Amino acid sequence: MQDTSQDLAVEITALHKWYGAFHVLQEISLSVQRGARIVICGPSGSGKSTLIRCLNGLETYQRGTVRLDGIRLGDDARQTTLARRRTGMVFQSFNLFPHLTVLANCTLALRRVAGMARHEAESLAYHHLDKVRIPDQARKYPAQLSGGQQQRVAIARALCLNPHLMLFDEPTSALDPEMIKEVLEVMTGLAQDGMTMICVTHEMGFAREVADEVVFMDQGRIVEQAAPSTFFATPSHPRARTFLNTLLH
Amino acid sequence: MSMLDIWLGILQGFRVTASVTLYGLVFAIPFGLVFGVAQYLTTGLARVIVTAVIEFWRSSAVIILLFVFYYAMPVIGVTLPAMAVGAMVLGLNVGGYASQAVRAGLQALDRGQKEAGQALGLSRQAILLRIELPQALVAMSPTFINLVIQLVKATSLVSLITLTDMTFRAKEIAQIAYEPVPIYLSLLLAYFVACYPIALVGRWLERRVNPAREARHGL
Repeated sequence: MQDTSQDLAVEITALHKWYGAFHVLQEISLSVQRGARIVICGPSGSGKSTLIRCLNGLETYQRGTVRLDGIRLGDDARQTTLARRRTGMVFQSFNLFPHLTVLANCTLALRRVAGMARHEAESLAYHHLDKVRIPDQARKYPAQLSGGQQQRVAIARALCLNPHLMLFDEPTSALDPEMIKEVLEVMTGLAQDGMTMICVTHEMGFAREVADEVVFMDQGRIVEQAAPSTFFATPSHPRARTFLNTLLH
Repeated sequence: MSMLDIWLGILQGFRVTASVTLYGLVFAIPFGLVFGVAQYLTTGLARVIVTAVIEFWRSSAVIILLFVFYYAMPVIGVTLPAMAVGAMVLGLNVGGYASQAVRAGLQALDRGQKEAGQALGLSRQAILLRIELPQALVAMSPTFINLVIQLVKATSLVSLITLTDMTFRAKEIAQIAYEPVPIYLSLLLAYFVACYPIALVGRWLERRVNPAREARHGL
């Protein structure tokens, strides 16, 4: 038992969450192998963002367990912090720090959390900014960049801490169509490097191309979980079929 | 009495006015910061206590507090110098206002800022000091400048607890020479001359502390 859970990047068992009387997450169980790429999709209000936010302690839950690299997320704040340091998160609205330069956005946690010296942190930040192809913007402020560039900085910022797992919460939903591509390219590159990724997204092309598994949620439950080829060709659940129809046509 | 004599006479009180203002800030700035942040972070009983302290200083009449601390407290054996009473009462009153600006600035930040800090594994303290406060204080800087100007003008009340500030000097001169028009016009001008540079420095400071916004305007 211990051995199998060591191979899992994420292990969610019988997770339940309520907002007051509203049952947002119901009996969610999901295991994610190291190196796996999972895409979570579903209609709005299905609980997919809430689920991904439970994976780094941004949301609490009432029942069940969430383990990251075997570390249990929940009541113990130190454990949660430990798990967070192994996890990178990219938000729909970027959430860059507007008062800091791109470089300082990337080095803040390296210096405060990892305790790195400035030059060391900066060279690591440049390495990751290079990977997302914007090293030349390092001295600018977020507001001077386009949305796509900002989101790529957010990805670089998360990568700086060398996470084992990357969480993406609708990373392209706030972007203009022409900028979606550049962000998805960076994400695809990350997948090719073997990063474990969980992405909440409506980008079905990305899911088809990159995901090992598509998880479809509706009304707080996982109603379908399949390889993309199966999911797109023959979705078994009627809700998944309607969802795909509205999305693809 | 010539206009120049009146001016010079009033300016003899400038030192006291400036001292009360500066010592007042020594009370106001820490109080506003600490209590504003505390009100933002605490819940339950702790928040009730923090709020009660803020409300005491914010909602009491300054002039009455001055009298209480300077004239009434000695009756129960607590004697404080007039300068200390003036600086404390005026400073904590303005600090009470400032605490609300600090809290409002923190609450107005997008929730995503704190979450991004949490997701990076930063401690609560690091999120506050590195992410939330820098943004909140910059956003609130026009309000803080307002409060400093308000403090300068409020110092005229210390003339009622024996301090020889500009207002006290004006009243002294008025007793020697019955020339209310030039005396009080000069006094009005004296406070304006003291306050206007603060507004100018404030505007300059706002531009300085907000490089991100300046950069955006430069696009």
